[in-house]
Amino acid sequence: MARSDIFAGLEIGTSKVCLVVGETRGDGSLRVLGVGQHPSSGVRKGEVVDTDAVQACIHDALERAEERSDVEINAVFLSVTGAHIEGLNNRGAIRLDGGSINEADLDEVKKKCRDVKIPADNGFVHSIIQHYYVDSRERMINPLGRSGQKLEADYHIIHGIKSRIQNSIKCVRGVPLEIEDIVFAPVASAQMALDQEAKNRGALLLDIGGGTTDYICFVDGAVVASGSVGVGGDHITNDIALVLKVPLARAEKLKVTYGSAWLEGIGPDEKVPIAGDGSETVERILICQIINARLTELLTLINNSLAFDSGLGQRPSGVYLTGGSSLLTGLDSLVTDIFGIPVCKNQTPTVTGPSALFENPQYATPVGLIRYAQLLSSHRSRGGTFAKIGQKFEKIFGANR
Amino acid sequence: MIEYNQSRDGSPEEGDHFSFKVLGVGGSGANVLDRLALEGSDDAQLVVLNTDIRKLSSSVSSQKIQLGSALLKGMGTGGDPDLGKQAALEAADEIREAIRGNDMVFVCVGLGGGTGSGAAPEICRIAKEEGVFLVAYGTLPFEFEGARRMEQARDALSLIEGYANAVVTFDNDRMGELIVPKDGVTQAFAAADKIISQSIRATMNLVAKPGIIRIGMDDLLTALNSEDSRCLFGYGQAKGENRALEAVEQTLKCPLLDSGKLLSIAQNVLIQVSGSDSMTLLEVQTVMKALSSHLRPSAHVLFGTGTDTRLGSSLAVTVISSLDAETLSATSSKPAQTQDAQAQAGQPKKQFGVQPVAAAAVPVAAVPASASTSAPAEPAVAAPAAPAAQGQLPAPVASEPADSKVVSIADGLQKGQSAGVVAPMVAQQPQEVVPTPVVQPEVAQAPVQLEPQALEPAVAASPEPAPVAEEPQPTPAPVVEDPFQQQVPPAAAAAPTDQGADPIMPFNPIASAMQGAPSVDNSQMFAGQQEQPPAIQPTPLQPPAETEQPLQPMIPTPEEPAALADEAESQTISLSRIVPGQTTQRILNRPQRPDEAPVAEQQPMEEAQEEVLKLEPIESKGRFARNDNNVVAGEDLDVPTFLRKKG
Repeated sequence: MARSDIFAGLEIGTSKVCLVVGETRGDGSLRVLGVGQHPSSGVRKGEVVDTDAVQACIHDALERAEERSDVEINAVFLSVTGAHIEGLNNRGAIRLDGGSINEADLDEVKKKCRDVKIPADNGFVHSIIQHYYVDSRERMINPLGRSGQKLEADYHIIHGIKSRIQNSIKCVRGVPLEIEDIVFAPVASAQMALDQEAKNRGALLLDIGGGTTDYICFVDGAVVASGSVGVGGDHITNDIALVLKVPLARAEKLKVTYGSAWLEGIGPDEKVPIAGDGSETVERILICQIINARLTELLTLINNSLAFDSGLGQRPSGVYLTGGSSLLTGLDSLVTDIFGIPVCKNQTPTVTGPSALFENPQYATPVGLIRYAQLLSSHRSRGGTFAKIGQKFEKIFGANR
Repeated sequence: MIEYNQSRDGSPEEGDHFSFKVLGVGGSGANVLDRLALEGSDDAQLVVLNTDIRKLSSSVSSQKIQLGSALLKGMGTGGDPDLGKQAALEAADEIREAIRGNDMVFVCVGLGGGTGSGAAPEICRIAKEEGVFLVAYGTLPFEFEGARRMEQARDALSLIEGYANAVVTFDNDRMGELIVPKDGVTQAFAAADKIISQSIRATMNLVAKPGIIRIGMDDLLTALNSEDSRCLFGYGQAKGENRALEAVEQTLKCPLLDSGKLLSIAQNVLIQVSGSDSMTLLEVQTVMKALSSHLRPSAHVLFGTGTDTRLGSSLAVTVISSLDAETLSATSSKPAQTQDAQAQAGQPKKQFGVQPVAAAAVPVAAVPASASTSAPAEPAVAAPAAPAAQGQLPAPVASEPADSKVVSIADGLQKGQSAGVVAPMVAQQPQEVVPTPVVQPEVAQAPVQLEPQALEPAVAASPEPAPVAEEPQPTPAPVVEDPFQQQVPPAAAAAPTDQGADPIMPFNPIASAMQGAPSVDNSQMFAGQQEQPPAIQPTPLQPPAETEQPLQPMIPTPEEPAALADEAESQTISLSRIVPGQTTQRILNRPQRPDEAPVAEQQPMEEAQEEVLKLEPIESKGRFARNDNNVVAGEDLDVPTFLRKKG
């Protein structure tokens, strides 16, 4: 079954617009054909604020990607993010008429699960199955063919403000590019950053990007929490610029060069030059304190919402970091300190091609989009015939809308 | 065991036969009638009245009256009570014809919509004029139907209460919650209809069916009599050996009784046990014993038995009582209901609700203030003597606080009667003037003020700031006095003319007075009716006279209105259709008048805004300064954590 498909994933990030073209094969492998990226403008905290500027960036990235991959791109999978996107868990139940559970039942229970009150402005982005229960007893992934009186399902529902998501969609359509699907960024990143084993063992994926920090938490193979906080690397830079009263560009450089999230091991009298000529200096510890304060707050915020979400003390067994800001030194220690869970190194993804790029966590989301597309298309194409497999895929990332 | 072998022949009541008619008004009323027809009620003729021809034609009732066939051309009212009212007036003759010759008429109506709220009061009025014993079943809308409908419903209810001998109010919210909280709207409405139809049937049987211990209308009235009452109703029917207990059980299951909990606080409870000839004394005893365990010892039990051969081997138990809304809400488990009732209780609807007026009067000139305080005091102290009653009537009108009342009061004006109530009061009781200058900031009051002050456009025209802004310029005294002088003549002049013209009056003087004041509490409905008529008679006379005032508020000559008042009622009303528009417009326009008060109010607001703006830039956000807020858990995430935590 040497079927191959070519997909394009587009991430409009706060710091960069990145378009990845990849070829997926029937055996599940993924080959990146080309990448186009451009520093973004007109994006704040993961959301498009200046359509024209963003379109220019997309255009540029598109051109490069097409050039490198030698593929004409008409449609993309688009990742969306923003602090307005939230996840919630809901359980739905239906009565069964006695026969064995079929797909229609699963659809119905899914419908029930989606019958949840979300703010009026919001729309569903994903509904991801967690588990099924037949007669409230067994917890199972695939209830097809079972018989019972009652079928329940736990779904993780991700929703966001429609108009804001629409903004991104409109912007991309104006390039013009068709959109095959929209994907909440951490859902895509998780396809790359986490393998099935990590999901089963329990994993918290933190995607600390430029403008937002997205997270998704898996416990026992199922998504239990997800969300986005409107704080990212840009905030750290901004903090440094404001506190030290230096320009943003300089602050960014200070952050990357001298910054550390963890304060231990930094000498109190270690001085670093503020300006290029080294005439002015500042204590390095101060920079690190600024970063530490910001990240401590950010991570605590996420930790709090996770504790609330996951309940029952279900802790994932490892934290996985992606996103540009995760390159910050000392972040591992800080994360471990706050979440009480060790930080795991990303597994080498099963990606071939110009792969040097993909070890960089900055590309987790766009490449994850390709993987997502791959799973989705195999789910769609096999549909009824291999319903079981389809269900499994749905479990992994959820069918859309 | 002694058998009560009650043959029909032996029944002493055999002779007197009641003729009933059940009128269903509007869509909801028709539903109830359909339900009644389904369950078989051959005693009463069912008449359905509706504006919407489609709904009318789908009804199974034997007699159908289309309301407003010319006005609405077979369409509904679209929720406009004015249209409903017009439609009813158009079909007034038909309605009269349908009602005539019956002893007892039940009107069931779902309040809140256009046809129900608009036509039902008119139909009740006609029924009253025909001299039938009128029992109205009003369903208050669900809370989810919105405040506007609730408002319309309450207005209509207060009008109906003015005409009907008894009013049974059902709260849809209550039924929806208690019966089928999870079911859809359709089921909830259906359940409500069922209860009402059961209740109507039970009431009919109660009064019509012969019984060895007869329950009469008087008993029913006692059971239903309490202020602003909500009907408690339970009905159970069972067969078989254990039928007595089963019937009681069913009765208590009725949602309006809340498994008997609500019975325990009821004052007067009417219990009727009916069955065919096979009903035994033991069974009656069993029923009463079982029920009395749910009653409080001091409760007044009105007990009766009835024989109904149609029941066959079944035994039926009917429990009717009432609780005032406040008590009900206090005991009810349902929060929405509580709110609802509190809103009622909180509103100065009741007699002593006059206080808000007095309170509001304080900032105004001292003269009216003191006058107003004396006004409420009087009714409070005095027994339901005539002057007291009069004092009460206008007061609630004046103190009505809700904005939405504009509509209702405008309605009142429409009939020319709310004006009527206020104006004569003004004439007779100096205290009553107080509502006028008092003027709370509620727009709702405006129409009321209009009446007495109609002659002073400046004052009448300003709703909120009027009292403060304008009163001081002309001293309060002239303002207060002016309306008197001009109002007295019309009232007096109108009196003789109308006495003949208004057919309601000899009937139910209070009723018309109440109708005039849509917001007036109907508490005296049952009790007061008998006691007060002579004393109050002068009151209802004026209404038509006042109609003129909203129309021609600038005309100071009192003779004209009096002359006009002579004319047909229908004219009064058709004229009034224009009135509310004018009135509302005037109300709406008023704030635009240059007054100091609003300006003064604006300024502090602007200042406040400025203050907020000044505060804003203090915390630095750098590149995020122009972003939307990013506040999580009270922390503005765009401001450096380092700075926030340090501070």
